[in-house]
Amino acid sequence: MGCNMHKKFKYILMFFLLLAVISASACIDGDEDGTAKGADSEVSSPELSVGISTDVNNWYLDKFPDGDGRFVWSQIYETLVRLDPDLNIVPGLAESWETPDDGKTWIFRLREGITFHDGTPFDADAVVFSYTEQAYVTQAVLRPIKSVETVDSRTVKFVLAKPMPLPFYLTHVAWPIMSPSCVDAEGNFVSPVGTGPFKFESRTRDQEIVLSKNEKYWGTEPELEKVTFKVIPEASTRVMALETGEVDMILKVPEYDVSRLETKEGIEVYRKLTTFTDFLQFNCEKVPFSEKAVRQSVACAIDTELITSEVLKGIGQAAKGRAYSPVMMYSNPELEPRSRDLEKAKTLLSDAGWKDSDGDRIVEKDGKPLKVTLLVSKGVWASRHSPMAQAIQAELAEAGIATEIEFLEGGAITQLENAGDFDMILRTGYFVWGPYPKHFFVHHSMAPYSHYSNATYDELVNAADMTADEDKQRELYYALQDFVLEEVPAFYLVHEEKIVAANSYVKGYTISSEDPWLNLEGVYIEEE
Amino acid sequence: MWNYIAKRLLLIFVVIFGVTLVTFSAMYLAPGDPAEVIALARYGQDLSAEQIEAVRAAEGLDSPVHIQYLTWFEHVLRLDFGKSVISSDDILEEILFRLPATAELALASLFLSLIIAIPAGVLSALKQNSLLDNACVFTSLLGVSIPNFWLGLFLIWLFALKLPLLPSYGYGNLENLVLPTLTLGTSMAAVTTRLTRSSMLEVLKQEYIVAARARGLDERSILFRHALKNALLPVLTFAGMQLGYLLGGAVIVETIFSWPGLGKLLVDSIFARDFALVQGCVLFIAILFSLSSLAVDILYAVLDPRIRYDRHD
Repeated sequence: MGCNMHKKFKYILMFFLLLAVISASACIDGDEDGTAKGADSEVSSPELSVGISTDVNNWYLDKFPDGDGRFVWSQIYETLVRLDPDLNIVPGLAESWETPDDGKTWIFRLREGITFHDGTPFDADAVVFSYTEQAYVTQAVLRPIKSVETVDSRTVKFVLAKPMPLPFYLTHVAWPIMSPSCVDAEGNFVSPVGTGPFKFESRTRDQEIVLSKNEKYWGTEPELEKVTFKVIPEASTRVMALETGEVDMILKVPEYDVSRLETKEGIEVYRKLTTFTDFLQFNCEKVPFSEKAVRQSVACAIDTELITSEVLKGIGQAAKGRAYSPVMMYSNPELEPRSRDLEKAKTLLSDAGWKDSDGDRIVEKDGKPLKVTLLVSKGVWASRHSPMAQAIQAELAEAGIATEIEFLEGGAITQLENAGDFDMILRTGYFVWGPYPKHFFVHHSMAPYSHYSNATYDELVNAADMTADEDKQRELYYALQDFVLEEVPAFYLVHEEKIVAANSYVKGYTISSEDPWLNLEGVYIEEE
Repeated sequence: MWNYIAKRLLLIFVVIFGVTLVTFSAMYLAPGDPAEVIALARYGQDLSAEQIEAVRAAEGLDSPVHIQYLTWFEHVLRLDFGKSVISSDDILEEILFRLPATAELALASLFLSLIIAIPAGVLSALKQNSLLDNACVFTSLLGVSIPNFWLGLFLIWLFALKLPLLPSYGYGNLENLVLPTLTLGTSMAAVTTRLTRSSMLEVLKQEYIVAARARGLDERSILFRHALKNALLPVLTFAGMQLGYLLGGAVIVETIFSWPGLGKLLVDSIFARDFALVQGCVLFIAILFSLSSLAVDILYAVLDPRIRYDRHD
């Protein structure tokens, strides 16, 4: 019997050995080239690998492309109107455009002789196809489009319900021109087909997306034969994969690694102000932020320069309340933003009746202490927003405002927003289409999550968006910048900086202010 | 025995029903309107109320929650897991793609943890209070205390950057498996070592060990044939639970190493309110969990002849 038991025990040992063999064999059949360490071989071949944080979850115009998928889109798809690295508007797939009636009708003249990756000719029908009802953007931002019509094969006419500067909107990477051959006869999506410098080769879920050079590209011929986007969700891993040479370039470098990488030999860090600005949005429909004085007091109490230099390690530019980045169109260079003024913050509160009578360092009015909630999303921006929120909390405390930070998941935040049950939200910039300051719509009373209602502001935003005359439009946008600085529907904190890091053998890269956008024109790999 | 296995397999069906029902309800009770969250993901910030309502109708979110659950369950019985509401990918395909990666990492980590923990635990118990024992106790305390995200990044730094021996991320080759397995396996081994040690100490005090010694059996056979086999029973239970946990809960390690596992898929889909995808993941994880606990129970019977699952023995 003892011998029998001994045998059984052997079986158990064998079971675990078997497990080892199974797990070992399961990994051997993976393909060889994929993730092998390839620093030595990649230097000499015109191939680039780029580390990004999310996979491409969508390739088609029926949905918004989320996360870093848009950097991949910007290689495959192109837009009618393009932006240069400094956000100047330049012709894209359209060589020229005009509006005969001050922005209500737009006529685009298309470039000739362009074909999609699969040989389908690029013509007016492809433009119409890209802005049909099934395109999500025509139900969202481009809702004012009444019709898109083919005039002739090279001319397209957009008719809008109200005047708007359509060319700026059409620069956005998230609603590019797609080939009608992206879908089959039933309208089901088959594969991504665009006109861009690179074409889609393959995708391995959550691992990599492989693109190859478009031999028939109409613009500057790409130097690279192949671009591989490697999905590496963890920022620290992405940085280390760059340092080991497993990837040649990475996007979204975390703030805390920038200064180290900048001084490291063999690595180049590229930085440029983008079109986005982080801001603190107030719930202006509820006490205490329904009071302008309290909002102004918050604006005086927060030191955005300190937040930028200390919390964000000098990445970005202190906004000091300025509604949008200096790289943006109609940004007023004369605008005098706020500086921290704690005394003024306190005076504003006491003049409005908020005083600390019980000595607990929190001001009260009518017996109610000034305690507010600050919502911070647990999403992709959490790593930067969470320390920013803590700095804000500490600075507001000095003015006598008690802040409670709540880290919540996106759905929970929208629920509180809908219920009006919050005081402040820390947000990253949105409603930004290239350099155009559409962002002001965020505080329009018609905007879905505005929490602010001011007739003068609404009128200014409407007028600015509908004006075709450039000087008049500038004047209106200057007025809006002053308005936001004074009335504080939101307090603007930091103009974001885009950071791309690459190994030094990657040459010819020009960083663009446009985000998300990756410009690989002229990029090549230097042979050693 | 076969009867017992068949019964247990039937029971898995009940477990799945229960687990998915609870998940479905939890998802429904979580804050935020699912239709709004999905609409935001699809159309961006510029939403209209009509779009939210359109999503609600299209995704069947307007019917009562029990109807939604039953509809889902009925589809699953026909092996139709539906499509992801965010990416439109087929859910079964998505999960089956990740299953091998998940199983590979889980089994490799479990194997590593056991080959470290069992010898270490046994040695520790045999040489109780010796230097070796103290070293084992200290190391395992360290292992328990170090968080996986720190250990993972440290291992990348050491083995990919400083000593360029292994890739820092990715999936597909054997060398990709090493660092995630080390991260998970060593931290699990820490707990298992302590368990093996205390269980072994317990067994060594038993009368049958004393009796075996009195019969003059040599130490080796006392140790391996009598003591270890009994001491391993609680370790086995624990390993089974760990395996179940690894199949769905290795999300941090999966994120750090870009490992395409079920855990990260599940967490991402929860944030996106991708109901059908959450349900699909939970269902597979529940099946795997049930199967691994069944495997443990079968091993029990093999290991300990006193355990019999059939009543008419």
